[in-house]
Parts: sequence; structure tokens; C-alpha cells
Amino acid sequence: RKRRRTDAVEIEDRLESLIIRVGEKSTSSLESNLEGLASVLEADINNYRNKILKILSECAVKMPEKTTIYTTLVGLLNAKNYIFGGEFVDLMARKLKDALKSCMWKTARYVVRFFADLVNCHVISTNSLLQLYHSFLETAQEDNAPQVRSDTYIYAVLSSLPWVGRELYEKKEQDLEKLLKHIEIYVNKRSCKHVAGLRVWRSDSPHPQEEYLDCLWAQICKLRSDNWQEKHIARPYVAFDQVLCEALQHNIPVITPPPHSPDNTYPFPWVVFRLFAYTDCPEGPILPGAHSIERYLIEEHLHNIIKQFHLERKQCASFLLDFPLKQKIPLEYVIVEVVLAEMFHLPASRYLQICYGSLLIELCKLQPATMPQVLAQAVELLFERIDTMNTCCHDRFVSWFAYHLSNFQFKWSWDDWLHAAKLPVDHPRAKFVVEVLQRCMRLSYHDRIAEVVPEQFDCFVPAKPKVIFRYDPDLGGESYVWEILHATIRKMSKHVARLQKDMLDSRDSHRRRRSGAETRRASDESESNSDNSSDEDTARPRPTEEEIERMEEKLETAHTDQKNLFLIIFQRFIMLLSEHLSKCDTERRDYDTHWYRWTVGRLQQIFMQHNNQVERYGKTLNELLFTPDLDSHILDIFNQFMSLRA
Amino acid sequence: SRVEQERCLRYTSTLYIGNLSFHTTEEQLYELFGRAGAIKRIIMGLDKFKKTPCGFCFVEYYTREDAEMCMRYINGTRLDDRIIRSDWDTGFIEGRQYGRG
Repeated sequence: RKRRRTDAVEIEDRLESLIIRVGEKSTSSLESNLEGLASVLEADINNYRNKILKILSECAVKMPEKTTIYTTLVGLLNAKNYIFGGEFVDLMARKLKDALKSCMWKTARYVVRFFADLVNCHVISTNSLLQLYHSFLETAQEDNAPQVRSDTYIYAVLSSLPWVGRELYEKKEQDLEKLLKHIEIYVNKRSCKHVAGLRVWRSDSPHPQEEYLDCLWAQICKLRSDNWQEKHIARPYVAFDQVLCEALQHNIPVITPPPHSPDNTYPFPWVVFRLFAYTDCPEGPILPGAHSIERYLIEEHLHNIIKQFHLERKQCASFLLDFPLKQKIPLEYVIVEVVLAEMFHLPASRYLQICYGSLLIELCKLQPATMPQVLAQAVELLFERIDTMNTCCHDRFVSWFAYHLSNFQFKWSWDDWLHAAKLPVDHPRAKFVVEVLQRCMRLSYHDRIAEVVPEQFDCFVPAKPKVIFRYDPDLGGESYVWEILHATIRKMSKHVARLQKDMLDSRDSHRRRRSGAETRRASDESESNSDNSSDEDTARPRPTEEEIERMEEKLETAHTDQKNLFLIIFQRFIMLLSEHLSKCDTERRDYDTHWYRWTVGRLQQIFMQHNNQVERYGKTLNELLFTPDLDSHILDIFNQFMSLRA
Repeated sequence: SRVEQERCLRYTSTLYIGNLSFHTTEEQLYELFGRAGAIKRIIMGLDKFKKTPCGFCFVEYYTREDAEMCMRYINGTRLDDRIIRSDWDTGFIEGRQYGRG
């Protein structure tokens, strides 16, 4: 009996490994591997049905880059075993419902994409997919729900169209057109208040700074005008057309989006980062245009690789450079653009800045013949466009570039930037060069930097300091002051977070102890003693109700302190900016000076960098400080921030 | 004991940093290692006799997660043109800052 059970486990493990690894590099063709695997699975369906269903459904959402491989596999299985195909569709539908309920938007989006591609494999009927699309589109009609909610649903629909667009166009052109019309109406009526705060550059030249949904919509429109032909997605099911078109199709069960609840969180909108045009890339394959669907698909794929391997920078770099379609695109350029897009992402990057910094170093080490040049070109372009760069991004750029140089002996064509020495000190270019040099000195030492930069930069490299006043703005530069301010806010946030965690833990353990005491009375004493976790619990002193109350008070005080900290900071900003604006108004001067731009940028930075904490006090800030009588230039910054979740 | 030491290494937020230049200062270390997370303290390794930096230090973070970030992203990169190495450490004890002369 036992023997049989271990055999079963072994077989399950083998099936799992076969399924997970299908599509990896192999000596035989993908098609023959898929055919072989489908036969193996078909033979085992009766004995290992649930296991196979579970593995396939997980692969479907966890390996989106292999969508078409798994849809083909499911298609082949459905052709052999119709009941199994139906069970798979039901399981995926349940997965989708759960994902929508628990706000797992990425999972939801990948299920929708998988469904879309299952239409191509004759597993799902076209009509039921269209029905699913329409039920998602209905979120656009809801009152009292935030725009980010319907955005999320509509993004899921739009981002699956590259997979199934051609099939719908051939079989249901009118329905497709109707669907697109609905989406168009939605896209056109959306509010764009949030966009200004999310842009890396204020200017649309040379590349328009498009909001993600607008951009994807434009890409889909371009795809439509190309009759839904795209050249990026590998479609293994085409080879099995004869087998698949014989199969019967299933309907996706009816899925209605669960209603909006105030506890739901939706992804922030974002602006698509564009750095390179095809003319920036030398000979070789051409960079797909900003509105070609290939650009979207390639970028999404690269972002997913970063997400999957961000904990292992060397592996991450080699997977990026081993991109499947590397022959067809200027790979180094797209990689650099994608990594910088994450680094400059607003309001905050997904990972630590140094994650991207160390990844770029690995990329340069792995591809020394091309990567450093492309990166240098990127830095030149960023520097050229720095005049209108968002202040958060300006800081990140300074910090990363100094770090990068410190790993490459501070070698840089500094002479190209000599003109910056002649600009006013608060001009963004001059500021950038000064701050980079100061950062370099912090990572290295004064003489080392003085040695590598041209003499003309002497005005930027301060005389060797004898006594260092760490916070003296003349020596450390004004950026130090901002670092200290942000560090202070972060400390406060950590303090609040810790108190909150302590309080919740204690409350939890108090509650558990009370219910635990009851169950223990009923259960065998020796059994509860042997339970390790309860041992650990009893080792800690049990919090009394009074103690918990004290903790709650402490937390409340901390929240008040935090609120006051933000109130004081914002009040100063408002005072300074209002004074400047009214003074310029009475003196009939242009208010839009470098000083003004930096100050507004710093105000924006507080909102962006600490968005989770500031959000909590949005209502108070609105009532006390950012009131309607305030100058609209200042008020706009606040409204941009508030519309991130609206 | 060995078991205890292994347990310690699993939970520690202190790192031993090696292959530093003798000229690298504490300020530089804060600038670089602060990029992985909030630093609680840095202890410079000193020559037992001359009491001058001798190429290693301990960096203690407030949290284990931040120390992990350092292992991931700073270990094996350069500071003062040298490739520095980081390793888990069971925690600083007075006296361990003195390296061999």
C-alpha cells in the first residue's frame, strides 16, 4: 500500500516537471514535444486528473510568457478528452472569480488572456469570450466607483486582444467593432488629472508621454488598421489546426465583476516611459514604433523577466540578454529602456533603486561590447532632456549615475558636459553635474574625483574641505537637506508601522489566547503540550487588555505626530510658493523660474515618495491646507496626487 | 554550538564586509550600504596594533530584509575600485573589530 503511494507521488512529480518545462530549449521541435506531452497526459488523466488540472492552471497564470504553449497543450487535451477540457475551463473561471474578489489584478489579467488564446485553440467559444469582455466593460457604467477600477477591467480586455484579435476579426468582425466602439467611448471620456504627476518629463518632445491605457488603445488601433496581424507572438497551435478544429468548444461560465468595495485597491495608473526612437539605434534590426503592438508585447515580456528574477541580478541579466526574439530587435536598447522605465517609475519603483543599478552593472559586464555604449547613449539623452525632468526622477538619475560610475572607475566623457559649468547654478543641467560629482565624492574621495574631471569643473568640485560640516548647504549641497527631510519622514513612517504591527500582533495573540484557552480545556493536555507553536506562544507574556489599550493610545499619538509632521512640511511649501506667486504677480514677472520649478518638484516629491502615508491624511490636508482658495498651481499638485486612486 | 550558530546566521541582520581598501572611510560605507536599507551601525575593522582600518568592517542593518538586499545587490560590486564581498555574520562582539596586524 505504501509502495503504491510513493509511486503515485513520483509520477505526479514527473508530470509536474514535464508540464512546467515544456517549451524550454530542447533538441526536438516544440510541436513534437507538445504532441508527446499531450499523449502522456491523456493516458494519465483518469488517475491524476486533479493534479494535472492544478499544474496546468498554475502554469497558465504564472508563466504568461508561455501562454500560447499551454493553450495549445490544453487544446490538444480538449480534442482528445472533451470532459477534461470543460473541467479546465471551469477551474480557470473559478480562478478568475477568486482573483477579482481578492483584487489580484495581474492574475485576473492573465486568466483573461489565457481564455482569449483558448479561443484560438478551439477550447472556448468566441461568443462566451465576447460575453466575458462585455461584462468587464460594464464596470465603465458604474456610478460611485473610482476610475482606476474600470481602467483595470478594461486594461485586462485590451491587453488580451493581441492574442485573439485576428480570430475575432475573421469570425465576428461586427461584434469586435462594437466592442472596440465601447472601449473607444470609455477611453475618450476618462479623466486625465493624474497624468501630470506621473510623467518623467513635463515636455512631450521628442516623445509623447502617454498614459498607459491611452497608449495601449493607440497600439490596439494600429493593430486593427494592420488587420490584426502581429509578428511577435509564437503560435504553436497553428501546426495543429486540423486536430484542433475538430474539437468541440466550451462556454466560459458567466462571470460578473464583484461590486466595488472601499477596501479594494486597484493598481496606480502610469505613464509609458519612452527614451529611444528608431533613429537612435544604429544599423541592425529596427526598433518597433511607439504604437506598434510589438513594442508593448516586448516590453511586457522584459518587465516580467525582471519581476521573475529581480532577486538574482546575474541570472536576471542573462535572461534579459537571452530574450527569445533578440535577432529581430535592437535588444540592448529595449532592455535599457525597460530597466530605466522601472527605475524612473512614479510614484515609486517596484524594487530598490540599487536593484536596477546592480542589474545595469551586470548587463554591462555580460555584454561589454555593446551594453556600455547603449547605456552611455541613454545617459546622454537623459541629460539632454533633463531640463523638464520630474524632480523625483532627477534625484534617482543623479544617485544611480554616480553609483554606476563608481563601478567603472568614474570614466566618463566629462568634456561633453563642459557647457553646464557656464549655466546658472539652479539650471537643471548645472545642478545635475554638481550633484553627480558630489555623490561621486561621497562614494569615493575628493582627490580621486578632482583627478578625473576637467579643470573647468573646478567650480563644481569644491576646494578640499578641511572641516566637514555634514549639513552645511554650501558644502554638501542642497540635495543633502532633502535627503535628511525624506529620511525623517521615513523614520516616522517606520515608527508608525512598527507600533501598528505590535498592536495588531498583541490584539491577535490576546484573541487567540482567549479562544485557545477554551479549546485547550476541551482537548487532551499532553497533545497541546507537544504542539510546538503553542509552546512558543506561552513563552511570551500574554498581553492584557490594558496593555493593548496603551498600545492603541501610543499608535494614535504616533499617527497624530505623523499627521502634524506632514502638515508642517506642506504648510511651509504653501507659504513659500504662495509668496513667490503673489510677488511675481504684483511685480508682473514670470513666476515660472528655476527656483519655482524645483520647489514645486520637491513638493510633488513628498507626495510621491510617501504616497501611502500621505494618503491617510488626504481628507485633513484637503480641509486644512489644500483649500479651494489656494493658488491653482499649488492646488493642482495636491489634486494630481489625490486622483491616483480616484 | 554549531546548531546555535546556524540559527544565528539565519536570523542575523549583520554582515561581514571584506576586501575593502584600507583607505575606505566610514562615510563611504554609509553612502553605499545605505542604498540597501537603513543602517543601524557600522564597525570598522582595525589593525590590532596601529588601530587603522585594515580592509574589513561589520554592517548591521535594522532588519534582516535590508541585509538580504545588501547580499543581493551590493555583494560583488565595487567600492574604491575594489570588488567587495559580503557574508552573513552572527553579530558584532566587542574585540572582533581588531584584525590581524
